[in-house]
Amino acid sequence: MNKQRTILFVALASLAAGCANEPRSRDTANPNVSGETLAMQVCSNCHGASGTANSPNFPNLAAQQEAYLIAQLSEFRSHSRQDPVGYEYMWGLSHHMTDKQINELAAHFAAQKPLRQAVEGKSEHIEAGKAIFIAGVAAKGIPPCASCHGAQAEGNGKFPRLAGQHIDYLVKQLAVFQRSNDRPEGSLMKTVAHELTRENIENVAAYLQAMPNL
Amino acid sequence: MRPIRDDLHSGTPCTLANIAGLLAVLLMLWTSESMALPTFNRQTGQNCLACHAGGQYPELTPYGRLFKLTGYTMGERTLPFSAMAVVSDSKVSNTSKSDDPKADFQKNNSLIFATGSVFAAGKITDNIGAFLQVTYDNYASQSDDGNFHGHSGADNMDIRYADRSIDATHDWIWGVSANNNPSISDVWNSAPAWMQYVPVPSPTSSRFIDGTTPYPGIAAGGNIAGITAYFYWNQTLYIEAGGYRTAKGPASFMSAGVAEGDKTKLKGTNPYWRATLTHEWGPHNFMVGTTGMVADVFDDPLDTSDPNSVHHFRDIGIDAQYQYLLDPHTFTVQAAYMRDHHRVPGFLADQPVDDVNGNALSNTNASDNTNVFRAKGSYIWQAKYGTSLAFFNQTGTKDSVLYDPTRVGGNVSSSPAVRGWTTEVFWTPVQYLRLGVQYTVYDKYNGASHNYDGFGRNASDNNSLFFYVWGAY
Repeated sequence: MNKQRTILFVALASLAAGCANEPRSRDTANPNVSGETLAMQVCSNCHGASGTANSPNFPNLAAQQEAYLIAQLSEFRSHSRQDPVGYEYMWGLSHHMTDKQINELAAHFAAQKPLRQAVEGKSEHIEAGKAIFIAGVAAKGIPPCASCHGAQAEGNGKFPRLAGQHIDYLVKQLAVFQRSNDRPEGSLMKTVAHELTRENIENVAAYLQAMPNL
Repeated sequence: MRPIRDDLHSGTPCTLANIAGLLAVLLMLWTSESMALPTFNRQTGQNCLACHAGGQYPELTPYGRLFKLTGYTMGERTLPFSAMAVVSDSKVSNTSKSDDPKADFQKNNSLIFATGSVFAAGKITDNIGAFLQVTYDNYASQSDDGNFHGHSGADNMDIRYADRSIDATHDWIWGVSANNNPSISDVWNSAPAWMQYVPVPSPTSSRFIDGTTPYPGIAAGGNIAGITAYFYWNQTLYIEAGGYRTAKGPASFMSAGVAEGDKTKLKGTNPYWRATLTHEWGPHNFMVGTTGMVADVFDDPLDTSDPNSVHHFRDIGIDAQYQYLLDPHTFTVQAAYMRDHHRVPGFLADQPVDDVNGNALSNTNASDNTNVFRAKGSYIWQAKYGTSLAFFNQTGTKDSVLYDPTRVGGNVSSSPAVRGWTTEVFWTPVQYLRLGVQYTVYDKYNGASHNYDGFGRNASDNNSLFFYVWGAY
């Protein structure tokens, strides 16, 4: 058995050393694969080659804040971000990422221009959401989203860009903040989202998704 | 935009030593006993539902299709072993209309360990990956004393090389697959090799469960050896073409464990093709496609000396599928239609057949057509609780060769017609385990709704309940 293991090890090492195709690799454990390559060969499967995800299951990443992306990838890697989509999809992929790869990935997506997508929400929801985004809900002590995420929801450092994000993703992430401690880096959002009603959440998500088209 | 031509020359070429290493790895995968069992989800570190729609393996999500089309190479290389087992219980509605219920309905309403599989699957290099399945059938044969005996053999096998050139403006995936079953290389669940998804236990009590009902399949079937080449352009157009031959020589491992008399022996190289159009928008995705194969299969796998002793099959099918994937909902619909034209060897055509009373029936046909349509819809909530409903309908040419005046399995109409429905509920408590109950209802069996065997057995007597526990690790 030891002999078999040795043969297997030598064979695998031989393959690993000789058949690497780093410019187009999908190897998430090879530190020599660039962030740019990973973005195209791996991340694009869900987030789109343009950083705009077809499916609302996955967030758009184009023009996302670089600092926010670095923070999220680092937290997936350390398993400190524990929401279901985080561990179902991202823990494994980020497991072996180097800081260099994370920085390159963040720079890649931050530099992408977001594609304009069709408006997903209804106009009455969008209007109601706009009011929350700009002025918050004073009666419940909820601050305006714009105060941290920017007047155009373009984000600011570790505060993510929200403009053009899928409604479904925003609604589910607000629920994660509101009902769990799965995203400890977003503890501030737990306080902010605590008093939001389901209707508030759906309205503000509809507005944010539609913003680039307004 | 990066030119494709430059991409083609950017990788480090494999040397002979590397290829020898690859062969050594494949040999090791084939011969060594599995001690650890990492699976594809260990390779990617992702949950099963990333690749399987609602966790309903083997049906793939758009992401799972890309994983397969890029040669199972995404993620990190791990010890690529996995195992699967099916425990089941089949119960036929009416076992009284039989001369020998113990033989006609073996293990009826008994919980059995039906099959187990070992997989060697996953990333080998940046461009090469494999999916090799060996299956153990616990009830493969029965000796005269009535005892069952297990047997292992090659099951689905797919070794592929794939590459991808992608940027924000274009996406080309291309590859080559060496496999042992036409359409096993496919990534859509409406393809012939994948639409049937729960393994069928061998005891005869399972002879009427859903997995044995007509499926739009390729007549040449498995345990053959083929090479197909494919490309997928902008996640829109998929084209695959290749040829299949008898699994022999270096490719004989693709039919390993299959008795010589049970092997499919092909005459020459037999073409297979596949084309699909796909579109994804929001949580929706849709595919429409066509599949086909023309094959010459020797009548007697033990005697291939006469090149004219072949069955000529021409299978042409169309299929479509729709998926809605948005957590917590998974809704999928599949439909497939296959038309099979079968020309028998000359010595089998125009043969006289008498009925049970000695009256002459029409002579056997020189060729037949068989048409199979199947549609299935499924809904899964939270990737845990699922239900599905399927309809199947097989029609075709009447042929006296089908005349068979025996109880239970017989056919006195000489018609291949079978029609019915299957409904299922299943529960996936953890992602490696599925418990399901299927009920299959027959409206028509072997050409008739009533007295199809000439001994009073009706199609509805074959209605079957099937319970299974399917685990994979």
